[in-house]
Amino acid sequence: MLRSLCALGLLAALAASAQEVRFNRDVRPILSDKCFACHGPDAGNRSTPLRFDSREGAFVDLLSGGKAIVPGDPAQSKLIERVSSEDPVRRMPPSYKGHAKLSEREIATLTRWIEQGAEWEGHWAFQRVERPTVPPNGEGWARDPIDRFVARRLDREDMRPTKEADRATWARRATLDLTGLPPTPAEVDAFVADESADAYEKVVDRLLASPRYGERMAFRWLEAARYADTNGYQNDQERDMWRWRDWVIEAYNKNLPFDEFTVWQIAGDLLPNATLEQRIASGFNRNHRGNGEAGIVPEEYHVEYVVDRVEATSMVWMGLTMGCARCHDHKYDPLTQKEFYQLFAYFNQVPDRGRYFKYGNTPPFVQAPTAEQAEKLAALDARIEKTEATLQGLEGDVARGLQAWQPVQPWSFDESLLFATFGEGPRKFEGKDFADLGEEGGYSFYDRLSIGVRVRPDEIQTAGLVAKSSAKGDLFGGKGWGFYLDEGRPRFRMGNGLDDSTDVRAVKPLPVGAWSHLTFTYDGSRLTRGMKIYVDGRPVELEVVEDHSNNEITLPKTPLRAGVGPEMTDLFRGELEDLRLYDRDLSADEAAVLAVEEGTPALAALAAAERSEAAGRKLRWAYLSDEASGPAGEAWRELRRLRLARQEMTDGFPTVMVMSDAAGRQTHLLKRGAYDAPGEAVEPGVPAVLPPLPAGGPNNRLGLAEWLVSRDNPLTARVTVNRFWQMLFGQGIVETVEDFGSQGSWPTHPELLDWLAAEFMESGWDTKALLKRIVLSATYRQGSQLTPDKLEKDPQNKLLSRGPRVRLPAEAVRDQALAVAGLLSERVGGPSVKPYQPAGLWTELSNWEEYEHDKGGDLYRRSLYTFWKRTIAPPSMVAFDAAPRETCVVRETRTNTPLQALGLMNDVTYVEAARKLGERMLTEGGSDAEARLDYGFRLATAREPGQAELAVLKRGLQRYQQRYAVHPADAEKLLSQGDSPRSEAIEPAEQAAYAAVASLILNLDEAITKE
Amino acid sequence: MDLLSSPEQALKLTRRRFFGRSAFGLGTAALASLLGRDLSAAPTLDSTENGGLPGLPHHAPKAKRVIYLFQSGGPAQMDLFDYKPLLEKYQNQDLPDSIRGGQRLTGMTAAQTRFPVAASHFKFQQHGQSGAWVSELLPHTAKIVDKIAVLRSMHTEPINHDPAITFLQTGHQLAGRPSMGSWLAYGLGSENHNLPAFVVMTSYGKTKGQPLYSRLWGSGFLPTRYAGVKFRSGKDPVLYLNNPEGFDQDDRRGFLDDLSELNRMRYEEMADPEIETRIAQYEMAYRMQSSVPELTDFSSEPEETFQLYGEDSRKPGTYAANCLLARRLSERGVRFIQLFHRGWDTHAGVPKRLPEQCQDTDQASAALVLDLERRGLLDDTLVVWGGEFGRTVYCQGTLTAETYGRDHHPRCFTMWAAGGGLKPGLVYGETDEYSYNVVKDPLNVHDLHATLLHCLGIDHRQLTYKFQGRNFRLTDVHGELVNAILA
Repeated sequence: MLRSLCALGLLAALAASAQEVRFNRDVRPILSDKCFACHGPDAGNRSTPLRFDSREGAFVDLLSGGKAIVPGDPAQSKLIERVSSEDPVRRMPPSYKGHAKLSEREIATLTRWIEQGAEWEGHWAFQRVERPTVPPNGEGWARDPIDRFVARRLDREDMRPTKEADRATWARRATLDLTGLPPTPAEVDAFVADESADAYEKVVDRLLASPRYGERMAFRWLEAARYADTNGYQNDQERDMWRWRDWVIEAYNKNLPFDEFTVWQIAGDLLPNATLEQRIASGFNRNHRGNGEAGIVPEEYHVEYVVDRVEATSMVWMGLTMGCARCHDHKYDPLTQKEFYQLFAYFNQVPDRGRYFKYGNTPPFVQAPTAEQAEKLAALDARIEKTEATLQGLEGDVARGLQAWQPVQPWSFDESLLFATFGEGPRKFEGKDFADLGEEGGYSFYDRLSIGVRVRPDEIQTAGLVAKSSAKGDLFGGKGWGFYLDEGRPRFRMGNGLDDSTDVRAVKPLPVGAWSHLTFTYDGSRLTRGMKIYVDGRPVELEVVEDHSNNEITLPKTPLRAGVGPEMTDLFRGELEDLRLYDRDLSADEAAVLAVEEGTPALAALAAAERSEAAGRKLRWAYLSDEASGPAGEAWRELRRLRLARQEMTDGFPTVMVMSDAAGRQTHLLKRGAYDAPGEAVEPGVPAVLPPLPAGGPNNRLGLAEWLVSRDNPLTARVTVNRFWQMLFGQGIVETVEDFGSQGSWPTHPELLDWLAAEFMESGWDTKALLKRIVLSATYRQGSQLTPDKLEKDPQNKLLSRGPRVRLPAEAVRDQALAVAGLLSERVGGPSVKPYQPAGLWTELSNWEEYEHDKGGDLYRRSLYTFWKRTIAPPSMVAFDAAPRETCVVRETRTNTPLQALGLMNDVTYVEAARKLGERMLTEGGSDAEARLDYGFRLATAREPGQAELAVLKRGLQRYQQRYAVHPADAEKLLSQGDSPRSEAIEPAEQAAYAAVASLILNLDEAITKE
Repeated sequence: MDLLSSPEQALKLTRRRFFGRSAFGLGTAALASLLGRDLSAAPTLDSTENGGLPGLPHHAPKAKRVIYLFQSGGPAQMDLFDYKPLLEKYQNQDLPDSIRGGQRLTGMTAAQTRFPVAASHFKFQQHGQSGAWVSELLPHTAKIVDKIAVLRSMHTEPINHDPAITFLQTGHQLAGRPSMGSWLAYGLGSENHNLPAFVVMTSYGKTKGQPLYSRLWGSGFLPTRYAGVKFRSGKDPVLYLNNPEGFDQDDRRGFLDDLSELNRMRYEEMADPEIETRIAQYEMAYRMQSSVPELTDFSSEPEETFQLYGEDSRKPGTYAANCLLARRLSERGVRFIQLFHRGWDTHAGVPKRLPEQCQDTDQASAALVLDLERRGLLDDTLVVWGGEFGRTVYCQGTLTAETYGRDHHPRCFTMWAAGGGLKPGLVYGETDEYSYNVVKDPLNVHDLHATLLHCLGIDHRQLTYKFQGRNFRLTDVHGELVNAILA
């Protein structure tokens, strides 16, 4: 509806502007909307050579004779005849296909265009950005080139700009726009009193330097990136991408040039010697949803992820609806299906799997310590290094001590040992029974684990050595984990069902009738590459049986057992000895030492040369662990302790999913877009309608990223500055910020857009500089009052005849309430937090535990840190039009609904904020009611209330004061909302009255609107 | 006070007149906002009185509203409606490859070494004039077979819950498109000025089953105001409906009077019609605060109602209570009412779990049809019952004499629909002797959508919304009207 109105506005404007018809602005949208579907870029849908997406196609000789367009002669132009025909068979577009006919106005536009010579233009957005000449500064209104473009357009429409907004209004507008928070009264006062020439500029510099700036810029970027804290799809379990989110905030705060911001996010992983930050940045294209539903066909979803990356990247950087070319050539833009798959090829090399882990991050991902964590790790590493050096320096002592040492006790390797059995001698199994080992073995997928055992199989067999598994019938089915022989070959499996296990098998069988030592280690990664099997202390070659874990392992109640078989009649035959379980993954050296059978007394008795390397190591470790009491022993034990501490530390680091090009996949065009209908093989490439990749660059994602930000790319800068414009003015210069193709809207100020795009690129993609320029412009400084004239001529403010007046974004609605209440926590970054949410939302729909809101400061963090569960998004954000984060969204929308009113009045978030704001009014606002009301009003709106407004506020306050004086219990109830303590020093009835009137202030249209 | 005492006030008055003429007056704005067309931005141009699109309905509608009883998880068609007597003969034999025909399977059973046929544990009988076969698990539904159309030849594409349920709800397997209810809210608007046009309720019984997701009733690329509003059992039937404790409805009235006055002062200053809309939305919120509790309060229902819907209907939040609430919503003109009942995903233990599911839903589903009929509402209300796909005839897991499981099956499933414009007593479509493939009158999801929209007076090809440069519709580029199921 907004759109239809805007069309009306443009047409009215068009009619007013001397009837000059321009192809790109006026004609192409009609052809695109009404004709392209059958006479456009999609070869599959064209039945004649006539096509209106190219000059050649539009001017061909028609099969039926004549031409569709005869310049200067509408009467001879078949186009006009066919679109205006009354005959339903002749009329285009055909009604029998359900198409609507052209409006009178559209026909008139086409007719005038032909009359005027049918001038053809290439689609504007695909032309290189050339910096237009800045119009002269007519009446001196302009402060910046921006304003001259705006003024010229206003002149043309015979409109005047609106008087500059007063300083307080501008300060509130700029502060909300650049930080997402309101200015404090003190900030406003200081600015209003600042008589220096650069007073405005100083405010902007302060705002851009605030850490709040990066947070605010992240609001919309997170939506564009479909960032969330869960995987989406049916099960929608948790993932960890917040390190990527924090990187975004930091990048904005540091003002990372937008070209680098782009390259890092598209291809940071491919940069030479990529830093951790650059790899984290590449997580942009891992923010898409990941399906962990049991039973899906992984390849089907693998394709969806790649499609999602193509769509998000195209929309965010190029303003192209590339997804339309997935199944067929694009209906409106010169993009072929093959070109879609050429872009697809760039994003198809990620070695991720189609079925994502149901829980947590799916590879590839990296450990991504925060700066603080990295610092702690570096300190620990320094200590380890120092201790190693100390031990190194004591090698002489160690050698001498070892020489002299006569051990009497056998030493075993039992750091981190959880459980051991069969240590007293071999336990024989004759296929008739198994050994119950009790309640040990409660490992989950996330636990590090090692098992060592000496085994002597009687025959080539399939049986369990040690397992905690519910398997019945099929030894390798069921839930749980187990260490097995599979036709004699060692095998390890952790799993939940047929398509849900992590399962590897040694290639070679164990010798029969002889003793072998087996060690299995697992690093808690849920991946087979984290599993190792050692035979006699040496790693053996493995084959992957299944590498697809999904659910968290559900351990059966079955006790840990040794010697189990698939059926109770078919059990292990042979002997087991010295079975050990460790709660970490032993290193290769440790596995080798574990396999040394001889005890330390026997080893000590051998000459050094007769000991194997592992045996020598065992003796040395035994000596250092048990015997050496001096500094060497201390250093050794310290070193062991530090290394364990290091592992524990790094295990606690957050991870983040990143891009990688390791998959080596051949991309095919997919017929009808279907994963199981591959067509011709395609190589990576960019659409032909756009400039080619820069010569000499790599033809991979990195090349693509660099191409996006090359000076010749016509789209990236235009699309980006347009999005910033939308953020500040409520709508883009191109209203369809997501679509710069032929179906997109015509820019209201094409030269301004190009000038800004050129300026942005040539400034070194300096985001802060661009924003600063815009908010300091006369255009942005205008007041936002409407007049009947402006409402009629420019209802949507597309001509910029006034300042923006739009409702705050969802995040700012809440953040502002917290800020004026004095509740807001300013902590930047970290794991997502859980503010208030109505009880039951999660349990009603999902199988999750009920949502439990955080305590203390985390209740009052900025809204961009709110835990985002995709399938049950935070209701207060969604009610205020936040995007649902399922797919990329770049367009801002604003609705005005009763659910918003209910939320602002009754959500505990706002009831509590009102209480705290009321408290501030009472304690900071002065001594009488008027001063206090004035203070509260100023906190929320940055202006003083007028006398009439103050009178209403006062009347309300008095009503509440009387009411709560009579009903003190109600006052107590109202004041008990929310976790934050209330000031006991204030009398409850008074406090409740102020809470109620503060709620009134927070509910004002003005309070939630940027004026 | 003399309004014309100053030129400035005179200007304001003119301005107000201007707005009064171009935008709707407050009352109308409130009315349309419900559902809410954005009147401030687009005066009279493209909205009708009740907030629907001009030109809609396209033809005289048979149905004015829909109650959609979504059975989430995939009910087993051959255990409920699609009677296959030969299965007993094939019990525990492998499903012939000729029947499976290369059908892709879910990863949960693709690796099974056998695909043994599992006959239904349950007895079937023919009922009513139509002679429809219904399983013993649905005794109440069996009694209404002459009032409903049993659609045995539904089929779909996806084999997993998320894409399948998203497909049924939005006509597309991937997230991002508007749900059917929001299309209707957008196209037809609301008939009630105090309630949302699209209401959703969820329930589950002994088994929670597969999760649901709020996007299933989301508005996709349509403005969020067209999204379904979830009604919940308990204190707050609509999120944030209740005033905070210690602040009653009289307080709220005073509060809103103050708020309107202040907002109106701002409007005088800024002349932004959005402020008028805001005032109207607050009034609407206030009306919802009284209309919703009245709606969800069953105390005026006679004892006989609870007997009809079953004892569960006394317990808020159950499927039965939701069915009763659906009737009350339909009486109040709510356009699209959708229930979701979870737990039909019977991968294992069909003989135990399916009776539980039926117990929770059978009586109330049938009661709703009967209740609507006797109130004269069935003629212009469409009632739809069904899940996102069917289940396999072969057993998932181990087949024993006592139990069996069934995996997801998209190639055929059964739904039923009744009321406004549909043929009662119809049994439509046929599957093969294994209930594996449709052999007669296949009915796909787009066709179903097209036909349901037709009953509502909508040409599915004409209800479109332009997004990302393209006109989208519920049926995308598909959908054929199925005249054979129309009355």
